[in-house]
Amino acid sequence: MGNTVETLIRVIDLHKSYYDGEVELPVLQGIDLEIYTSELLAVVGASGVGKSTLLHIIGTLDQPTVGSVLYDEQDIFTLPDTDLALFRNKEIGFVFQFHHLLPEFTALENVAMGALITTRNNKLVYEEAEALLDYVGLSERLSHYPSQLSGGERQRVAIARALINQPKVVLADEPTGNLDRRSSESVLELLWDLNSKSGQTFVIVTHNQDLSQRVDRVVQLVDGKVS
Amino acid sequence: MKFEWFVASRYLRSRRKQSFISIISIISIGGVALGVATVILAIAVLNGVEHGLKDRFLANEAHIVFHLHNYSFFDNYQKRIEQIEAIDEVIATSPVVLSQTAVFPEHSDSIQDVIHIKGVDPVLEDKVTGFSKFVDGSTDFLNSTFLEDARLIRNETITGGIILGARLAARLGVIKGDVLRLIVKLVESPMHASMLVPDLANFVVIGFYESEMAVYDNNFGFVHIDTAQKLYNRPNRVNTIFVQLTDADLAPQIARQIEDTVQFSVLEGMPDARTWMELQAPLFSALRMEKILTVVIEALIILVAAFNIASTLIMTVMEKTKAVGTLRTLGASRGNIMRIFMIQGSVIGLLGTILGTALGLSLCWLLSSNSVRPSYWYTFALIVPVLLQVFIILRRALPRGGGWKFGLSVLWLISIGFALYCAVRPISLVDLGLSQVYQMHQLPVQVNWFFVIFINALSFLICWLATLYPAWQAANLKPVEALQHE
Repeated sequence: MGNTVETLIRVIDLHKSYYDGEVELPVLQGIDLEIYTSELLAVVGASGVGKSTLLHIIGTLDQPTVGSVLYDEQDIFTLPDTDLALFRNKEIGFVFQFHHLLPEFTALENVAMGALITTRNNKLVYEEAEALLDYVGLSERLSHYPSQLSGGERQRVAIARALINQPKVVLADEPTGNLDRRSSESVLELLWDLNSKSGQTFVIVTHNQDLSQRVDRVVQLVDGKVS
Repeated sequence: MKFEWFVASRYLRSRRKQSFISIISIISIGGVALGVATVILAIAVLNGVEHGLKDRFLANEAHIVFHLHNYSFFDNYQKRIEQIEAIDEVIATSPVVLSQTAVFPEHSDSIQDVIHIKGVDPVLEDKVTGFSKFVDGSTDFLNSTFLEDARLIRNETITGGIILGARLAARLGVIKGDVLRLIVKLVESPMHASMLVPDLANFVVIGFYESEMAVYDNNFGFVHIDTAQKLYNRPNRVNTIFVQLTDADLAPQIARQIEDTVQFSVLEGMPDARTWMELQAPLFSALRMEKILTVVIEALIILVAAFNIASTLIMTVMEKTKAVGTLRTLGASRGNIMRIFMIQGSVIGLLGTILGTALGLSLCWLLSSNSVRPSYWYTFALIVPVLLQVFIILRRALPRGGGWKFGLSVLWLISIGFALYCAVRPISLVDLGLSQVYQMHQLPVQVNWFFVIFINALSFLICWLATLYPAWQAANLKPVEALQHE
């Protein structure tokens, strides 16, 4: 996306500790990170180093112990829960290692879910969801339940779901971690394609070497810090 | 709310793997339904009993009984009656001589009973208590053929005719035409002025009084007012005035009015106007107490059902923890999550309440219609769903399709309802001991619609409150922890 580098997300001096009783277990120990608009960023590091925790905090699912996360220079953790939920709904898409589809809902409904929370016009939402499923190659699977889909198919539904509200940033946590080689390939193809077409920002947490070589930028976490 | 309804309704149906929860929803619905149904039924029966008793009392009871303390005689009762009848709400009055007397029948030489004697004017009394409706035979005390027969054939000195309470007559073993001897008062002996001897009066039984009110049927004898006045040597005087009103419920107010407007001299004594409600106060207050207790107990049953809903929801929340996490990542707020589970619980509460109302009302309807006469035996209707359920459990499978399960639930509900009905229906009032006193042969049922609406609102409110904690719990799950929940 050219050379104009705009900062979308700014992570400032982020600390996160977990507490086991009185004992403090520091995970993130002062992360400073800038994520640029439209970039494909990989976050790598040994397991347990806090990659997922960082992703959760950037995705507003978890609160930092110290530090702040700015989206377009706005500190999002000052927002009340309702506004934060709305922000998450509109601006952030998630893809997890495990698909986390809702088992009681069809593929189409799962994809539409994010938009149904805030939208009144269900018809439009379902059309959109259908188009997205078509895009990820599952136009034949609209009314299938997650249990009736293969692992790769589920993950593609999950990707479609992340895109329903056209978020500015898609956060992916080991999106291919649970898939075989072939399914991984098709999922990754999808992500690259999306990134080049839509200009959305992707932050991918992975320890897949292959994947980390094909992104715009790699950030490595060592001992709770960006190395 | 559209989104919350969408998710909640799917969770309620939950036709995929998690059928466990939806069976629990059915049980929760059933719990609320049974609670609501029994409370409606119980209150309808209690209402019915109260109303039945009231009707029965009022059928042959004056609305107000007016007398002086110690039942001393009024000086000028005609004037009092004029004053009472001047009140708009008063329809009719009947002057009465009330007293007690010992009685022994013709062939007996000992006192058999002490009975109440009511000296009445049959025409006036008829307007107040419907006297003649309950009498088997003529109410003409003075000119009955039995009187003539007794005088001519038996050669007895007859004071007058008497109509006896039917059960009293049966107890004494007398039939129409028999002579009863009453000890009215003691008089000085003609031989020794210092001695008192009983003054006997002979009465001929000319009819029987059967009102199905045990008080009268067991204890009362009716004579003509003139005869009574003569007996007690109180010509043209009475000691009690019976009053009938346009509306029985006005009795307390009119009673006070009568006490205020009718003038008495201090010598006569204090007037006392007693309403039918006061006369039956112990019974009606007992019934009212019973009703209050029933409502309290039934409210507790609904409370138990509400706990059932709460635990169902807590289990649902536990089962759906991961889904809650997912929904939170999709941007559902705490409020969204809270509403999803509140809707779920409220729907259970609402369905239970509606079903319970339907069940309760149909039981009331069955009870009040005389066509079905079940016995305890028919509670074996429950065997059908039980056998089906056992069969399904043994086969470890339900035939495909949700319709089956729904059908079975409906069958359960109907069977439980019918069994409940069969268990209640054969209880006659004989078992309750009420039959002896008030002679009702059928369990009376009266549905109070205000109460039905009240209990519906109460039930729904309790169920709604029960959803608050689980829903709050779901809303406050931490998204990350919820996602990682296994």
